[in-house]
Amino acid sequence: MTATTAPSGTAPVGTAGAAATTIASRVRDRAGATPHRVAMREKVRGIWQEVTWASYWDTVLTVGHGLLALGVRPGERVAVLAENRREWCWTDVAAVAVRAATVGLYPTSPAAEVGWLLAHSAARVLVAEDQEQVDKALAVLDDCPDLHRVVYLEPRGVRGYHHPALLGWDELLALGAEHRAAHPGAVQRLMAAATNADLATLIYTSGTTGRPKGAMLSVANVDFAIRTVTDGGGLASPPPAPDDLLLSYLPLCHVAERVFTTWSNAGAGVQVNFAESIATVPANLREVQPTILFGVPRIWEKILASVTIRVASASPVKRAVARFWLRVSDRIGGRLVATGGRHTPATRLAYAIGWVFCYRALRDRIGVRRVRYAASGAAPIAPEVLRFFMGIGVPMHEVYGMTENSAIATGNRPGRVKLGTVGEPQDGVELRIDETTGEILTRHPGVFAGYLDDPAATAAVREPDGWLHTGDIGEWVCGTHVRITGRAKDIMITAGGKNIGPAGIENELKASPYVKEAVLVGDRRPYLAALIGIEVDTVGQWAQRRRLPYTTYRDLTSKPEVVELIGSVVDEVNRRHPPVEQVRRFRLLPKELDQDDGELTATQKVRREAVGRAFADLVDELYAPGGDR
Amino acid sequence: MSNSRPRGRPLLRTSYAEDLALLDTPAKRWWTAALLVLALSLPFLLTDDLLQLLAVCCVAAIGAIGLGLVTGYAGQVSLGHAFFLGIGAYTAAGLSGDPDGRVIGLGVTDIALWLPAAGLVAALAGVLVAPLATRLRGLYLAIVTLGLVFIGQHVFNEWSALTGGAGVGRPAATLEFLGRPLAVTDAVATRDQKLYWLMLVLLLVFAVAARNLARSRIGRAFTAIRDRDIAAGVIGVNLPRYKTVAFAVSSFYAGCAGALLYTVTGFFDPGSFSLLLSVQYIAMVLIGGAGTISGAIAGAFFITLLPRLTRELQAWVPFVSTQPNEVPNVFQVETILYGVLIIVFLIFEPRGLFGLWIRARNYWKAWPFSY
Repeated sequence: MTATTAPSGTAPVGTAGAAATTIASRVRDRAGATPHRVAMREKVRGIWQEVTWASYWDTVLTVGHGLLALGVRPGERVAVLAENRREWCWTDVAAVAVRAATVGLYPTSPAAEVGWLLAHSAARVLVAEDQEQVDKALAVLDDCPDLHRVVYLEPRGVRGYHHPALLGWDELLALGAEHRAAHPGAVQRLMAAATNADLATLIYTSGTTGRPKGAMLSVANVDFAIRTVTDGGGLASPPPAPDDLLLSYLPLCHVAERVFTTWSNAGAGVQVNFAESIATVPANLREVQPTILFGVPRIWEKILASVTIRVASASPVKRAVARFWLRVSDRIGGRLVATGGRHTPATRLAYAIGWVFCYRALRDRIGVRRVRYAASGAAPIAPEVLRFFMGIGVPMHEVYGMTENSAIATGNRPGRVKLGTVGEPQDGVELRIDETTGEILTRHPGVFAGYLDDPAATAAVREPDGWLHTGDIGEWVCGTHVRITGRAKDIMITAGGKNIGPAGIENELKASPYVKEAVLVGDRRPYLAALIGIEVDTVGQWAQRRRLPYTTYRDLTSKPEVVELIGSVVDEVNRRHPPVEQVRRFRLLPKELDQDDGELTATQKVRREAVGRAFADLVDELYAPGGDR
Repeated sequence: MSNSRPRGRPLLRTSYAEDLALLDTPAKRWWTAALLVLALSLPFLLTDDLLQLLAVCCVAAIGAIGLGLVTGYAGQVSLGHAFFLGIGAYTAAGLSGDPDGRVIGLGVTDIALWLPAAGLVAALAGVLVAPLATRLRGLYLAIVTLGLVFIGQHVFNEWSALTGGAGVGRPAATLEFLGRPLAVTDAVATRDQKLYWLMLVLLLVFAVAARNLARSRIGRAFTAIRDRDIAAGVIGVNLPRYKTVAFAVSSFYAGCAGALLYTVTGFFDPGSFSLLLSVQYIAMVLIGGAGTISGAIAGAFFITLLPRLTRELQAWVPFVSTQPNEVPNVFQVETILYGVLIIVFLIFEPRGLFGLWIRARNYWKAWPFSY
């Protein structure tokens, strides 16, 4: 279906003699070429501390020597259990430099899951952020025979611990410096011996249906991904450059953030700024004003919701002005959707006037004033959300990829955006859609090496000839763009025999600022119904404006007015669908879904089965005879 | 790493120096430059009588900044500002006066000598008063400083060898620098133009110095003491030391302002340093905005220009007379306006004129939202 030639200038896999290009060698080369440019920034005590490429590389060497001193050998694993911060990147690059592989663990994971992942990945060293993470690690240490050392980053609370496995970050650096003096060039020699087949990183899939599986990405996989996003024009056009800034705030354990933070940093020299936490992202966005911004749908929906609330609660003059220009931006967005993202003279003029009165300030407030390339991925997003951002002048692009193909498959290109699709296959990517099942298959050098210790699962998704089963159902649009209609395992067959992919309808529901979660039910049932979780901020605001008193989340969901409000959202969505695809009934979830209760994965994806089980009584009500809604 | 600092991101602070910078955004830099150019070019735009008034405004602003430091920043209410102004005025006048004149004069006519001397003598008086402040708080401190004014007034009235005595007065300090008179009309500029420029430059020097003090360790200690002196003491702020520093610096400013204040009119009498003068300065700080330098300057200009403004009022409100023996007259209106303004500001905008500015700025800062 697409060009099958490999990108030019590719080193053939497994070339003898020359060392493979790894993220470590890329960092080394950047440190050589631009030693004094800024590589990363992290806010410490109110100040964005800068790390230059020279100091980045120097620290990587010291950490690499430290890992060698701790007994890490080529082929072994180094785990990181921390929020995004400088130490994450230092450890990641240092591990690759000594030919070990990095495993990222979600800091939000409970101890049992951490223990399972550490044991399964056979990690030798764990870098844990603070007391909370150290406690988890120590609790499961006995179940992880391979885990020798736990390195902590924040000494607060850990100082009083006297466990033999514990080691402070400073001590690691001291060990590294000592080892570096005793064995100069040891890390460089390992780097020179690196091959394309080396395991670079182990990324665990989120596991919406079962145990997480460890996808192994080799040095060649990562290199292909880096070349695609940096030189291949897979992302922004012109490609990312050292003058670009980005904000790193999504978990680095996920392949998507790894593409943007670590890989585009090492590959294109983009300046990475670490957000203080997920809660401070709006403030950090305003400070950093990134030029390249990646977000999962939840982030974009949240920004849209915050704009809606803040406009609604603005003073009358401001509200009138903002509403007027948002209506205009909606029209501009609609026009851009039709043209694929290219302005017409009329939209350009309208935008220029709106820029003076509203868009410039609006974009500055939400931190996207300087964004030249925005991307949404990792989950399906409602087209309305994308259209809003396109309308206010943020060039939005939906991209598609998954852990198993190093996050490289398709992407909308600047100027050739088709809303509702995930874009065109990237350069060097073969993509076909199975005629019988409708499943999307990809083949390219980024297809992973397999699941760790699970040949059966590997064989199930990867054909011997290299084709990868993505598990996503899709179709071609105009022969160039790909539209995803759902996950193969999520397809619902109603009692009427109609196949329905729930993701589309769920996303339309979630596009409303009042809806946070929507879980469609209807498999082997007479009609479609939905469990809906409200967005407590916006609905709370709405209730306050209506002078509707409420106490808790649960109380809010039981208000007839709120049910009515959500009902109007559901009706609005239903109007766009044929009767079989309409949501006949819905119930509001009485609590917010939570990772600790097993209802969400670490990436905040809904585990359908768990939700179905936890709210079985609500589901029964949905199909109880009689009663309307 | 300032060379690599990304452009157009004023909130992305990469060092503490940047975080504390006086003009931390490009907009502030441009507006300050524009304001400065306007202020320096005013002598070409206004008549001499207005310039003379503005020169007085500048000097009053120096005094108000001084009171703002002790009352606005460090939270020590002082009604004794008139006393320190008086000490400065008489030190300068006494130093630079004619040795053969009617009153004491030492003939040191250079401003570079008498101005710091006036400030230092006043500061010394401030240091002597400071122990009171370390023992007293709030209303009690206000009453004690009130006592200073009465003592000062008595001394000034009685020591006629220096002050000329009540109702008579003496000439103010002589404006000379390196043997050349500073304020004399010549071919280049008139006396009032020169006076205005001189006072404006001095105001800038004093204002920038105060602003720098406020953002230093000392300034942060002042703010901590103002917000809650017990808490400040607990976190390690040396209360006696910083309260002494606050009074010393504030009195230095008052001394300098007092020395300069009467050089514009050239003559002054001991009756000037009454409680009314103290209250006037308190009003400048409160109406301008306590705890800000720009507020103190705005308040000083506003209060000093108020009589002139009420006189202009007569053109629109004809039944208000300009004759003091008719009722109602502009002087009564002025007094009433004075009181009303203080009440209105304290009730509706306790942050003063500066608060109004903050409000306007925040309105646009949050655009198109309200918060």
